[in-house]
Amino acid sequence: MNIEQKRKIESLVALTLSGLAAAIGLFWLVYILGDVLIHGLGALHISLFFNDPAAAGVEGGGLRNAFVGQLMITLVATLIGVPVGVLGGTFLAEYARGKAIARTISIISDIMVSVPSIVIGAFVYAILVRPLHHFSGWAGAFALSIIMIPVVLRTTENMLSLVPWTLREAAFALGAPYYKVIIQIVYRGAATGILTGILLSIARVAGETAPLLFTSFNNNFFSTDMNRPIASLTVTIFQYAMGPYKSWHSQAWGAALVITLFILLLTIAGRLILKWRYKQ
Amino acid sequence: MAIAPKKNIPELLFYSLTAVASFTVIIFIIGIIAVLLKESSLAIGKFGVVGFLTSTAWNPVTGMFGAATTIYGTFLTTGLALLFAIPTAIGIAIFVTEIAPNYLKAPIGIAIELLAAIPSIIYGMWGLFTLAPIMSKYIEPALQNSIGKLPLVGILFEGTPMGIDLLTASVILAIMIIPFTASIARDSFNLTPSVVKESAYAIGATKWEVVKNVVLPYSKLGVFGGVALSLGRALGETMAVAFVLGNSHKIATSLFDAASTITVSLANEFTEADSDIYLSSLYYLALVLFVMSFIILAIAKFFLLKAEKKYSR
Amino acid sequence: MTPTTEIEVKNLDFYYSGDIHALQKISLPIYKYKVTALIGPSGCGKTTLLRCFNRMHDLYPKHRYEGEILFQDKNILANDIDLINLRSRVGMVFQKPTPFPMSIAENIAYGLRLKGIKNKSELVGRIEEALKHAALWTEVRDKLNASAYDLSGGQQQRLVIARALAVEPEVLLFDEPTSALDPISTAKIEELVVSLKKDVTIIIVTHNMQQAARVSDMTGFLYMGDLIEYGSTEKIFTNPDNKQTDDYITGRFG
Repeated sequence: MNIEQKRKIESLVALTLSGLAAAIGLFWLVYILGDVLIHGLGALHISLFFNDPAAAGVEGGGLRNAFVGQLMITLVATLIGVPVGVLGGTFLAEYARGKAIARTISIISDIMVSVPSIVIGAFVYAILVRPLHHFSGWAGAFALSIIMIPVVLRTTENMLSLVPWTLREAAFALGAPYYKVIIQIVYRGAATGILTGILLSIARVAGETAPLLFTSFNNNFFSTDMNRPIASLTVTIFQYAMGPYKSWHSQAWGAALVITLFILLLTIAGRLILKWRYKQ
Repeated sequence: MAIAPKKNIPELLFYSLTAVASFTVIIFIIGIIAVLLKESSLAIGKFGVVGFLTSTAWNPVTGMFGAATTIYGTFLTTGLALLFAIPTAIGIAIFVTEIAPNYLKAPIGIAIELLAAIPSIIYGMWGLFTLAPIMSKYIEPALQNSIGKLPLVGILFEGTPMGIDLLTASVILAIMIIPFTASIARDSFNLTPSVVKESAYAIGATKWEVVKNVVLPYSKLGVFGGVALSLGRALGETMAVAFVLGNSHKIATSLFDAASTITVSLANEFTEADSDIYLSSLYYLALVLFVMSFIILAIAKFFLLKAEKKYSR
Repeated sequence: MTPTTEIEVKNLDFYYSGDIHALQKISLPIYKYKVTALIGPSGCGKTTLLRCFNRMHDLYPKHRYEGEILFQDKNILANDIDLINLRSRVGMVFQKPTPFPMSIAENIAYGLRLKGIKNKSELVGRIEEALKHAALWTEVRDKLNASAYDLSGGQQQRLVIARALAVEPEVLLFDEPTSALDPISTAKIEELVVSLKKDVTIIIVTHNMQQAARVSDMTGFLYMGDLIEYGSTEKIFTNPDNKQTDDYITGRFG
């Protein structure tokens, strides 16, 4: 066998192996999604959305409390996280552009994005739960917003940086003050990008469980009181899946399917918007 | 290109608003460090640093706590997961960038990105209901009957295969980080200029030789950064492993033993901690985790910034 | 009859990034309702000089002006100058078209709103007037609410000129306004520049010498931060006093 043949065979073997790795990797992922879909569809009854949980171990009931709780926590987190994140990103991309402080905050944000989320739960427990002696929806929402802010901040910074600098100069040349240039011109130019970032950040926090475990905790009853413990889909999935009852397991699959679909839809919407906006 | 704010009131107001918003990030990071230090001070005072890190004690009744078992579990699950995930992820990235026909590149790429968005609790729950039974029924007995018979390594496969153990947790963790690692690796590979690749093909290199000698060396900084990011992610992951690890504070000798990680201990015990020293020890664990992931993320950031500088030239 | 002087530059020195001396002892008059062209090789300081007239340099740190620029006898380099007011009186058009991400009509209304004009019917009237002024009205009258990005490059540049005209500036600065355009669009912009000088004083930077010869009344030649020669366009292009000027305009430069 000459060298050339050897090289060709080596190439074939290596490429087959990487193809195989790809197949194995994708196999598991398809398996998981398929499983969630099959088990989840079986559990999707109207009652899952409109009934409150039955007593432990009793058949029937639903997760209305968890759906409502999840929505409230995510909504409040978004209402805190988005304005703070967008304004913070504005500072980095505009007023502090190119300065050391912008670079520092960027790097800290990148690190914050990857801080273990359970640590953030422990942090919020110490400042919002223990001093007040009770778990609360507010604490859960606050924990999620801490995760959200650096994500939104970094996307905003990146998207604003993509707006051509000449556009700002053109607005300055008309006699516009900087804050008007930012709000009326730069934000408009970056709007779709920022919107995508916001959608993706909501997708990110909506699936979080760990930071809610000891902040919003859980609540087996329907409640909209953000001052009290409140149910969320993710914590409910954890509790139900680890619990002993078949009906709980089934509802956990149903909740898992709903949250997976919600997050995938947000992610796809975000990607489509980006693709549509930057197709030129 | 920075702009000094002018002295008019709305301008100053908006400037301050944005400045304050961006400083919240710094406040949070400092706040987290301060709170973790303060809350764990009781345990730090009682057990010290080396003492805590090396002690295998975890006894709420006697109030003796150490981090060794959970750090061990954290490193073991993370290490095993990376061992499974990195070759697979790089294989996927090579497949997507170099081998797959064009009509498959985009769909696989999108599938990977979507899978990276699925929350970890879904992976954890799937592990408990689907993977753990498969592991205990088929895979683990098979391993026991093959590699388990060998000397030396056999000890790793001792015990009754229950499916709720280190191996299952590591596999789930691996499956969870594969899409994340693969998409970073793919992005790094894509940065290799096609001219460079073409010139390698032009001197008669095979496809694998181009990957091995051109693409991988060219993108290694980005891939290192991606691997470090994945490591940080696996280290701090709670829900993917919480379902199937068993939360046992023992130094496991077999891959079929239940174990615990820092995150799993926090998730399971935080709300049950009934004494000050117990809670303080849990905060101490959280502090250890925070420091570990901070260091790893800083390393990841270092590589990625270096890569960015290199490519932007 | 001697024309009125709109702007008088007196011993202007300009530094950026702390100590880079970009303009040295520049002095020249800019005449009212005339087109003044600034020419010279890349990096000669012509754009730097242009950006002094609306203090664009103030956007960036570490710049320093020395000397005076008298605009209607008032030194606009003084510290107490209101830049927002200055820039609404001295408009600017850039190399590449810079339409804002909004509709054609909104682009023009933007500058008017900055000036405090809110009345709807007045806005509509002024938008039409500005578009006519910039010779764009017939092309866009049916799609005023379309995105400005749907226009061609040449139309975008005329839209930007209309936007600058709408606020009724006294001086209009052009920074190589046709360098990104095709020849036909370029011809339209040049026609426009010539027709505008009955209403505004124009300063144009260009490195296309034919363009300078076609549109301007006065020409200044800059080289390495110095104003080498300044005079009527006719004289500069036919019989310059300075040898460097002669070399540059005849293409023997370098």
